[in-house]
Amino acid sequence: MNDKELLPWLEKATLGDESAFQLVYQATHQDVYRTVAFLVYNKQDIEDIVNEIYMRMWRSFHTYDPKRPFRYWLHGITVRQVQDWKRKAWRRIRLFERNRQMTCEQFEWTDKAVLQSEMKYEMFCLVRQLSYKLRVVVILRYFHDYALEEIADMLQIPVGTVKSRHHLALKELRKRFEMTGGDAYVH
Amino acid sequence: MSIDKELREELRQAADSMHCPPDLYGRVRQSYQHYVNEKRGRSPMKKRMLVGIVAVAILIPSAVFAASYLADDIFGSSATIEQHGGSQEDYQEIEGMLQAAKGKLTEDEFKEYMELTKQLMQLKLKITNENGVKHEEKLTEEEQRQFEQLASRLAPYFDKINGTVKP
Repeated sequence: MNDKELLPWLEKATLGDESAFQLVYQATHQDVYRTVAFLVYNKQDIEDIVNEIYMRMWRSFHTYDPKRPFRYWLHGITVRQVQDWKRKAWRRIRLFERNRQMTCEQFEWTDKAVLQSEMKYEMFCLVRQLSYKLRVVVILRYFHDYALEEIADMLQIPVGTVKSRHHLALKELRKRFEMTGGDAYVH
Repeated sequence: MSIDKELREELRQAADSMHCPPDLYGRVRQSYQHYVNEKRGRSPMKKRMLVGIVAVAILIPSAVFAASYLADDIFGSSATIEQHGGSQEDYQEIEGMLQAAKGKLTEDEFKEYMELTKQLMQLKLKITNENGVKHEEKLTEEEQRQFEQLASRLAPYFDKINGTVKP
């Protein structure tokens, strides 16, 4: 289902049509879940955030501009919700703990499927080790294929900052990739 | 393979292996229903609020106009005592006294109290000139007797108002 077909359903869902809600959820939940899971690692936190994203979706549907792609709006909400959560997490000073967990070896808190993909995909594992600020740019650029200007708009930061973070992220990935031997994904 | 292409490929594959847990649906659905209930519940609530505000807006001014001065019943208006050397503050003081009386006396008692006070005040106004100086000799014998009678009948009420008599 494409964006245009989804819109009338989304509108119905915001008005209280439960079957429309089901349809919207089915059409979007994998995308939302995966995007959040790329940015946040704790399984419980991912679910909390996904739930919040849907709440925000219903509540701020009236701010959606139908001239722009639906997914762009949805990803905007997703990123902002993750960022809100990060801020809250920071306030609780849980970040230290999380930083420690960011190494590739400690995956007991993610689900099995992710663990398996970590083993298989060296580059993905390296992306997970990037700091959040760099990682979010990489995900939006290479997973969702957004232009740097669009990413800047979504993250509400200057394009120059996005460019430098993008550059820094790739540099970091290359460096770490060479350190691990650089041939891990050949097999 | 370029790093761009590599990243795209691996992220896509990694994403394909990540699956949204099915039990999350129940949770999102629950908050969705919560949202719907809230949305539906809100509009009648808003209406009720509006009706309430309108009702209060109408009631407040009418209550203000209805609550006229008790002292007006006795003097007609504050202009009456101003002609006899009284001031606006004096008028307020009398009003305060009357209000206190209303609070402390029963309805019947208060009615009589107001009646007696009215008569007494009319006599008092008669003997007081525009500078507030009293000339008791202005009263006739008949009026003097009436004055004393009124004063003695009012005395128990004053005691009650001033709290010297326990009810």
